Amino acid sequence: MARYLAGRIAGLALILFMVCLFTYLIFFQLSPDPAVMICGKTCTPERIVQIRTILGLDEPFLSQFRDFLVGLFAGRDYGSGANLIHCPAPCLGYSFQTSQSVWEMIVDRLPVSATVAVGAAVLWLLAGIGAGLLSAVKEGTWWDRTLMGLALGGASIPNYVLALSLQYVLVVHLQILPFPSAVAFSDGPVLWFQSYLMPWVVLATGYACLYARLTRANVIDTLAENFMRTARAKGLSPVLTMRRHALRPALTPITTIFGMDFAALLGGALITETVFGLNGVGKMAADSIAKNDQPVIMAVTLLAATFVVVGNVVVDLVYTGLDPRVRIR
Amino acid sequence: MSELLVVEGLTVTFPTTRGLVDVVKEVSFTVGRDETVGIVGESGSGKSMTSLAILGLLPRGAVTRGSIRLDGVELLGRTDREMRRVRGEQVSMIFQDPLSSLNPYYTVGLQIEEMYRAHRGGSRKAARKIVTEALTQVGIPEPERRASYYPHQFSGGQRQRIMIAMALVCSPALLIADEPTTALDVTVQAQILRLLAGLQRETGTGMVFVTHDLAVISTIAARVLVMRRGEQVEYGTAEQIFAEPRHEYTRMLLESIPRIDDEVAS
Amino acid sequence: MSEPLLRARDLTKRFTVRGPFGRKAEFTAVDTVSFDLRLGETLAVVGESGSGKSTTARMVAKLMEPTGGTLEFEGRDVTRAKGAELAGFRNDVQVVFQDPFSSLNPRHTVERILLAPLIYQGIQPKGGKRALARELMERVGLDPDHSQRYPAQFSGGQAQRIGIARALAVDPKLVICDEAVSALDVSVRAQVIELLRRLQRESGFSYIFIAHDLAVVRQIAHRVAVMSEGRVVEQGPCEQIFTDPADPYTRTLLAAIPRIDPEWDRRRRAAG
Repeated sequence: MARYLAGRIAGLALILFMVCLFTYLIFFQLSPDPAVMICGKTCTPERIVQIRTILGLDEPFLSQFRDFLVGLFAGRDYGSGANLIHCPAPCLGYSFQTSQSVWEMIVDRLPVSATVAVGAAVLWLLAGIGAGLLSAVKEGTWWDRTLMGLALGGASIPNYVLALSLQYVLVVHLQILPFPSAVAFSDGPVLWFQSYLMPWVVLATGYACLYARLTRANVIDTLAENFMRTARAKGLSPVLTMRRHALRPALTPITTIFGMDFAALLGGALITETVFGLNGVGKMAADSIAKNDQPVIMAVTLLAATFVVVGNVVVDLVYTGLDPRVRIR
Repeated sequence: MSELLVVEGLTVTFPTTRGLVDVVKEVSFTVGRDETVGIVGESGSGKSMTSLAILGLLPRGAVTRGSIRLDGVELLGRTDREMRRVRGEQVSMIFQDPLSSLNPYYTVGLQIEEMYRAHRGGSRKAARKIVTEALTQVGIPEPERRASYYPHQFSGGQRQRIMIAMALVCSPALLIADEPTTALDVTVQAQILRLLAGLQRETGTGMVFVTHDLAVISTIAARVLVMRRGEQVEYGTAEQIFAEPRHEYTRMLLESIPRIDDEVAS
Repeated sequence: MSEPLLRARDLTKRFTVRGPFGRKAEFTAVDTVSFDLRLGETLAVVGESGSGKSTTARMVAKLMEPTGGTLEFEGRDVTRAKGAELAGFRNDVQVVFQDPFSSLNPRHTVERILLAPLIYQGIQPKGGKRALARELMERVGLDPDHSQRYPAQFSGGQAQRIGIARALAVDPKLVICDEAVSALDVSVRAQVIELLRRLQRESGFSYIFIAHDLAVVRQIAHRVAVMSEGRVVEQGPCEQIFTDPADPYTRTLLAAIPRIDPEWDRRRRAAG
């Protein structure tokens, strides 16, 4: 087990290193000169050279990349003498737009994205698995067809259309919800809940529809298994047969998919956050892309990759706990 | 002595795209207490459908007619709730593929225990003792420890032993064995057949043994029902079926069996 | 005695098994298996699950590379044959598998299935393709007018006949039957075995007949190799294996086969 974990963590480190390398390569080598961008409109060639030196842009790619990695783990210094700026670890650089520390920007915004992701996940798991189960048990009936029709429809509505429609009806027209904003829980649970409700619903809808179809398919497959026939032949109650024998085999594969989806969402829900103007990592990503704010793009890419890669390992570990067949003997 | 199981004019009909199809037609047989009756037939003969019909486990949409009486009590037409008291408690069943017939997510101990507790109730602790006894009875070594193993950790023969232990844990009056040795190696098959015969002698359970293998049936059944395409071809004592088959199909089946000892004897 | 068609010497196959958490273990599936096979002869390889009989078949068919040992076909070493040499070997050695349906492409007509080996090998049959397909179907007892049907329109026994006909299309010297009759109903199985014997009489090729069922083997084999845990425990003429088995494992196998009371059998035969 320890050997396995060590292997997985080594693999994880390697993948993250590759992600760093490639994002660095793409954003810093293929996009316009950052020094020109930082310098702005009133710029002298001397100033550009100065900025390049401070940021280390005059150095070859590999040594720039090395400085970036060192900065991540040990922090780094920009410039020298009186102009020296120390960037403590983990150093992701400074935004070209606002000169803020990118790490601090992330720390500020991550709770918003996490709140959106967790709330949506709870919603879509409840709705998706619930609908899928009901559909599977009532396979071929009116219930099944209605739910699956809704799921197909729901999955086809673009996020922003749903978001804007909900906003128009609930906020503008009926005025039963406040305009969404990143309200902290400490500002009052009710307001907090009301503010996040729409983002949750919007984000959860697509996933819920997908999970409903997935759950339905898995449960139907499981119900056809021989061990379900055994369970019935044993004279177990339908509730026990369903709860114990069908649910666990049917839902275990869904944990894998859920782990990946959730991990990806922690890296920011781009569209939902942007549409509702929530200041999360997703909106930060969208803004940075629009303005070519390279350190920020770099950071959000890395952050999302880290969540996905770590999520993958966590999912595998959880899976070994859920399915005895992949456990160590 | 009254018969344990009386099946009369059993007909099972399935709706298909080509209309209603009778997969079992007018089948009648009886099983005495501690007697073994074999149902033999090739694929599509309706032998498995017949056995599933006894427990009311036919796939959705199947319509059953005729009469199935257990201890004089009619089973057909009962609700699922009523049949649940019969399943496992009075009639239990084992299947062809023991690996897929056991749930891979739970220990074999739990799967036996839940069956016992569903019918007899009681604490888990008490049930665990019963589980150990049941596993001992079917020849699983170190039963207490092995009860906490998962199905994939056993060999094919042991898995079928576990299925048998589970089937007999409530001491049912009738055991239905649907191709229980077909997926097993021949040496393991011999062990399982011996185990079944031995347990039957000990417990006095009646048995319906379904198989495609005439030679297997001849070693275990007192009476034999031969089926083809849902129809009852012939029904009689094993001796009559094997020594004096009346029907051409039975004779043909018997002639198709490859012989091991023939030339040896001559 | 003439040169054997096939000579296997110390064929060995080891697998590296990876545990779920990266632990490795080595497992010897086939352990120094040797045998000779003459043209026109049938060698049955019998054993229970995990005995290594199917792995042996796969190595002989060159669907799997042996870890050790050599394989000679018509006096040439084909153990590591590649390219044209391997193509020639494939032409001479055909395989019939256990599950007829999963080994026939469901979207192809019987004719296309039967002619596929010819197309792969680049052979133009004399008298045209269509005529050959019809002839092949006739040889295995299928209605040649059904050559445009799809596998799903045939029964299990008929589908296996298609598999056999496909093997015969390239006029092989050796046909490997990997549990080819195991999935068939008993009455159908008897017919397919009779077909296999007739085809051998007509064309004079060899069979390697892989089976777990000793009783079936007796009807078709000239020689029998009994395998257990990767090794051949006993090898000899068919009659000797059945009447005078030397190895205790062979005796166990024979004793385990369920039998109908010989007295009943005798009475039935006397009456019929």
